[in-house]
Amino acid sequence: MVEVNIQNVWKYYGKTVAVKELNLKCPENSFLAILGPSGCGKSSTLRMLAGLEHISAGDIFFGDLRVNQLPPKERDIAMVFENYALYPHKTVFENMANPLRLRNVNREEIDKRVRRAAELLQIEMLLDRKPMQLSGGQKQRTAIGRAIVREPKVFLFDEPIAHLDAKLRAHMRGELKHLQRRLETTTIYVTHDQLEAMSMADNIAVMHEGVLQQFGTPSEIYNHPANEWVAGFVGEPPMNFLNCRLERGADGVVAVHPSFRLALTDAQRRLLEEKGAEAEVRLGVRPDTIAYRAGAGSGLGIAAKVFVTEPLGGDMIVEVQLGADRITVKTKIGPSANLDEPCTIAFDAARIHLFAASNGIAYF
Amino acid sequence: MASREIAQYPSASRRVFGVVTILFIAFYLLWTLLPLLIMFLSSFKDLLDAFQLPATGDWGGVATLFTFEPTTKHYENLFLELNFGTYLGNSLIASLGSAGISVVLGSMAAYSLSRLDFRGKNHLFFWIISTRMAPVVAVLVPLYAIFRSLDLIGTLPGLILAYTTFNLPFAIWILKGFFDNVPYAIEEASMCDGSTRLQALRMILPLVAPGIGAFLVLCVLFGWNDYLFSSIIGSGGAKTLPPATIGLVQPQNIQWGSIMAAGAVTTVPMLFLGVLIRRYLVAGLTMGAVRE
Repeated sequence: MVEVNIQNVWKYYGKTVAVKELNLKCPENSFLAILGPSGCGKSSTLRMLAGLEHISAGDIFFGDLRVNQLPPKERDIAMVFENYALYPHKTVFENMANPLRLRNVNREEIDKRVRRAAELLQIEMLLDRKPMQLSGGQKQRTAIGRAIVREPKVFLFDEPIAHLDAKLRAHMRGELKHLQRRLETTTIYVTHDQLEAMSMADNIAVMHEGVLQQFGTPSEIYNHPANEWVAGFVGEPPMNFLNCRLERGADGVVAVHPSFRLALTDAQRRLLEEKGAEAEVRLGVRPDTIAYRAGAGSGLGIAAKVFVTEPLGGDMIVEVQLGADRITVKTKIGPSANLDEPCTIAFDAARIHLFAASNGIAYF
Repeated sequence: MASREIAQYPSASRRVFGVVTILFIAFYLLWTLLPLLIMFLSSFKDLLDAFQLPATGDWGGVATLFTFEPTTKHYENLFLELNFGTYLGNSLIASLGSAGISVVLGSMAAYSLSRLDFRGKNHLFFWIISTRMAPVVAVLVPLYAIFRSLDLIGTLPGLILAYTTFNLPFAIWILKGFFDNVPYAIEEASMCDGSTRLQALRMILPLVAPGIGAFLVLCVLFGWNDYLFSSIIGSGGAKTLPPATIGLVQPQNIQWGSIMAAGAVTTVPMLFLGVLIRRYLVAGLTMGAVRE
């Protein structure tokens, strides 16, 4: 319903900086996920959007409206809290009706809207219960119900499904996304779970230590991480990093590691030249882009040793000792290998990432 | 919510401990309830019956305590001739009034002390508690002087103010602890729902109901049982039950029957208050809504 625009926002707690010069835009009706580890400033950002905390410096706009000085009730937002924050002494119905009551909506309308929201969330049969009598998933639905009975300008979600068990979480991811598409409301969703961000959001803002690291679509974040930190945070299992040296050979540019030499593509070489790459780099490889074969001399370019294999049913994680480094490989399930059994691996040059060793900025 | 079940296994020491516990409780009940029983019984006895006591060691004579002609003449005397109706009213107004004012002001003050950060907050909080550290008598004289210049001596508002002076710090102190235990998220959710601070405070008030209930009882009791303030600041127009009861002790004639009846009149309303407020004293209302 409205575009959210965060301009040069800072947040201090005493002398501690929680959010540093944040610039972020969430287009109308889109789903923005703010992703980062705990203490990265993502919750502070959300709370500033909600009006629960003051903005130390900078501006936040909802559309054309500057909301810095507006209390939560005048911002027309709805927020779902990590710990649900239901009113324990009120029934599910009363919990959900509260935002409407506060706006003096008439009784029949409240009843209609609460029942419609309850139906949407499949909690119609729980309307007379108190929060104490609900399971985690039901509490969470009630909290969402309280947010959607009204048509707010912006939905704010603060890790709403972090406390649910894994199965329910996976289920709720789909439901929340469906709900957001259906209600067509600007949504800002804070999470530390990259899977939630990747699977639900239109755009992701990755934050670390109060600084916005990268803003982009899930595919941009995954395929073109802006720096080593983002590359390591997004993706499961996480990306492997190896210290390499760039050398110019007869056949072009080669990344040299004590255990292997990897020739880069022409496109990559041009990018490195454009950006004036240093010689010392960090090579980033996603586990699922590495080929793996068990046995000595099994045909792939680089000889290594198995550290441990972790079968996952359909797939298998193999940790491989490559000289002094250990890297993670994700492959189709195969026979488990013993400790120190030889194997060979190969990198796909077109799908690697290179980062400056000095500051972690991505070359590609 | 409920206390966790603790596995207990039989043993000799546990059995002995169980017996000792029962004996202790029995003795305690006797100790606390017997005087009340004697008071109630005596208030319905004629003076002659009241002093019919069995000889020491004569356990069979206990029955003489219960054989008497019930009479309500002491109560009639209290209410028809001695104006105890007015004193009872004064007691009720003064103690409930002060408790009410203390609840309203105390919960607001406790809320802000619990939720907001401001300069000198800890000093302020300590100062509030410290006003309770002085004994009542220590402040009585200055208070009397102040009240006299404000023409509050012998009036109910004066008495209410005097009780509030002592109840309010107590209220703030107790209620702050209860507010501290209510998660911020509930108010924040309420504010996001569209409430103001004050409405958010009203939203969490039921969650501190056990605290308010407990404190209400204590505040009412403070005013109800007070003798000192009432006899000095309330003397004249705002006499309450305790000084009125003392008034029954005259040099020539101690009116035992009426004193017992006055004791009963003083006790019964507080018993009702206790029963009334009991359900609010059950803690654990906040459990389950906010995941800890």
